[in-house]
Amino acid sequence: MTELGTIAMEGPSDAHPATAQVALESKGFLRQTLATVGKRYTARLGLVWIAILAFCAVFAPFIANSMPIAMKWKNQWYFPLFRFLTPADVILQIVFWTGIIVYVYRPRSSLHLIVLVSVILLLSILAQMLIHPPGPQKYSEYLLASRSGKAQSVWTVPIRYSPEDHMDDLQQLRNSPPSVHHLLGITNGKADLLSNMIYASRIALSIGFISTGIAVVIGCTLGGLMGYYGGIIDLLGMRLAEIFNAIPTLLLLLCFVAVFEPNLYYMMAIIGLTSWVGYATFVRAEFLSLRDRDFVHAARAAGIPTWSILFRHMLPNGITPVLVSASFGVAGAILAESTLSFLGIGLTGEASWGGLLNEATGEGGNFYWWIALYPGLAIFLTVFAYNLIGEALRDALDPKLLKQ
Amino acid sequence: MLNYVIRRILLMFPTLLGITALVFFVMAYSPGGIGGQALEADAGSDSAVAAKIREYYEKRYGIHKPKIVQFGRWLNQISPLGLEIKDDGSLGHFGFKAPSLGDSMEQNRPVMHLIRERLPLTLLLNLVSIPIVYILGVATGIQAAKKRGGMFDTVSNATQLAMWSVPTIWAGVMLIGLLASRQYLKLFPTSGLYEVEAAHMAFLPHMVNHVLVRGYLLDVIWHLILPVICLSYGSSAFLTKLTRGSMLENLGADYTRTARAKGLPENVILYRHVLRNSTLALITVAAGILPSMLGGSIVVEWIFGIPGMGQLGVHAVQFRDREVVLAVTLIGGFVSLASQVLRDILYALADPRVSYE
Repeated sequence: MTELGTIAMEGPSDAHPATAQVALESKGFLRQTLATVGKRYTARLGLVWIAILAFCAVFAPFIANSMPIAMKWKNQWYFPLFRFLTPADVILQIVFWTGIIVYVYRPRSSLHLIVLVSVILLLSILAQMLIHPPGPQKYSEYLLASRSGKAQSVWTVPIRYSPEDHMDDLQQLRNSPPSVHHLLGITNGKADLLSNMIYASRIALSIGFISTGIAVVIGCTLGGLMGYYGGIIDLLGMRLAEIFNAIPTLLLLLCFVAVFEPNLYYMMAIIGLTSWVGYATFVRAEFLSLRDRDFVHAARAAGIPTWSILFRHMLPNGITPVLVSASFGVAGAILAESTLSFLGIGLTGEASWGGLLNEATGEGGNFYWWIALYPGLAIFLTVFAYNLIGEALRDALDPKLLKQ
Repeated sequence: MLNYVIRRILLMFPTLLGITALVFFVMAYSPGGIGGQALEADAGSDSAVAAKIREYYEKRYGIHKPKIVQFGRWLNQISPLGLEIKDDGSLGHFGFKAPSLGDSMEQNRPVMHLIRERLPLTLLLNLVSIPIVYILGVATGIQAAKKRGGMFDTVSNATQLAMWSVPTIWAGVMLIGLLASRQYLKLFPTSGLYEVEAAHMAFLPHMVNHVLVRGYLLDVIWHLILPVICLSYGSSAFLTKLTRGSMLENLGADYTRTARAKGLPENVILYRHVLRNSTLALITVAAGILPSMLGGSIVVEWIFGIPGMGQLGVHAVQFRDREVVLAVTLIGGFVSLASQVLRDILYALADPRVSYE
């Protein structure tokens, strides 16, 4: 983000000589926009909800887990929760804490960032290779000892149920409504709904960000090339965009998903592949107007390579409309994932809000209101939050509104 | 103008070709391939039966041929001008012939018959929803723009953004669960577009032995209420926002000030000057609303158990029923391309400044 901000400063869009004179360090266009967005209370509400979700996603195993953090059993201390952490949990922790470090120390040069990114990558690969959790176990000895009261002292996390705990041993009723033990009730598969929803926030957030990222990268690259070169590339690119635009998105998604094994990574790629058209047309339009500007001519005269002109000089000046629609795009991607999961062609074996919502109507036309209400509410709030942020971004970038 | 329209219509063909090619090759290169699912369902583990069925498919659909040839065969099959296809699957001589969408692999029926059964239901759903979307959206938008920042404006702004974010799947499940399920208020039917007995009823409501009989019309309306709500709330929220925005823009324009200075009544300014100029923005999105509603009806049909085109498409994709998937894609693509052309024509009709010459 800081890097983008400094790049944007070079462009002509950052034309605020008055503020530049007052402040020693002028703010980039992007940073100004983000500051304006941060002042809107609706956008703040949205950001708060996303932050809560991100917290749930990163710390899911420490919020909802049937394994105790620490327990004393037969005069010996055990730490089952840490033994059962998956590589994904550990990688999330690594990324989160490095993110905090980056935020606090604000590395000036891009070298620092590269070092940080490579450290994250290295640690993640190590985590993937070295950590082999025993996998979910219904009747692990720790669980039995801690639940039966044989252990001398047990430290648990706030919600004592894992999403894959199907609680056959606890003689719970299936589909029981919210109670003191299960704050949001129990799902069809005898699992705790709240715990499922906390883990599902990971899917929602990652799908939203990564598939939108893929779409933005494809859209910017194709749109940039189309706008810069024009001619036959433009014609072919626009036909391709038209093709993707004319197929009902859901049908295209269905085709891709039904045909390839739906796992999380495919899903991200597929949703990204089907939603780049909007970004491409935006970037193309911007590039068409930018390519004859003086700074582009100057860059070309200076002998700067084409990719650098395209993506380091022109793109930062044309990226702003993409930001707005990316914010709505994240909402769209989350909706798409939950719709596919709801239709039963999405992810299998992993809790997702859409999949949970699908369980709300059981056999014989029974309706379990808590299974419908809470996962649906989570989807709604997340989509709403991204839409609020997108609205605020758009208003901050709209020159007509700025004048008033 | 006519030149332009003809050019646009001709440009639709390469795009439609691209659309069907995209879907065809995604399916063809999938693990299991076209018809794989059908083979599994019909034959199970019996290899002799599987071989027989495979032979049948090879003859009927040519699935052993190279993929590009298969696609060529399909194109030949839907075009009215091309090689004649004989009953045993071999090709005859070149000439005019009846275009055909082929036979469904799963149901062994012509795709055309399936579509003739399903399309009216989807069309009914959409044709009822679209006027509701427009009337509701435009009326609320005008009201909101009349007094910017007023009570109505604030409330409608907040609700439209919220409504726009409510996922259709959630709205559908909650509406069915609370208003239609056995446990709670049993006000509406949970699935289908009409009751079985409605087929024997008269069209209009009437009295039989002092008991009111709904009649076919009321029965269908009763079944349509929840699906139509689900299909229309999102688009109408979007339209409200759009109408409000473009009305506000025009209300601040110079010609509005001139109209006020002339002493025109406020209603004339609003409806004859500002609204007419705001319709341009509404036309631009009209092209987007129709395809998005067709896409939305996939979900709505699934939730409410309406056997329309959406359900046909979802099922065919799951089954990898090549001919049906391609037919549904072709129709969906055609509708959205046609609505784009229609948009551009309407645009030129509504705004004399727009010219395509």
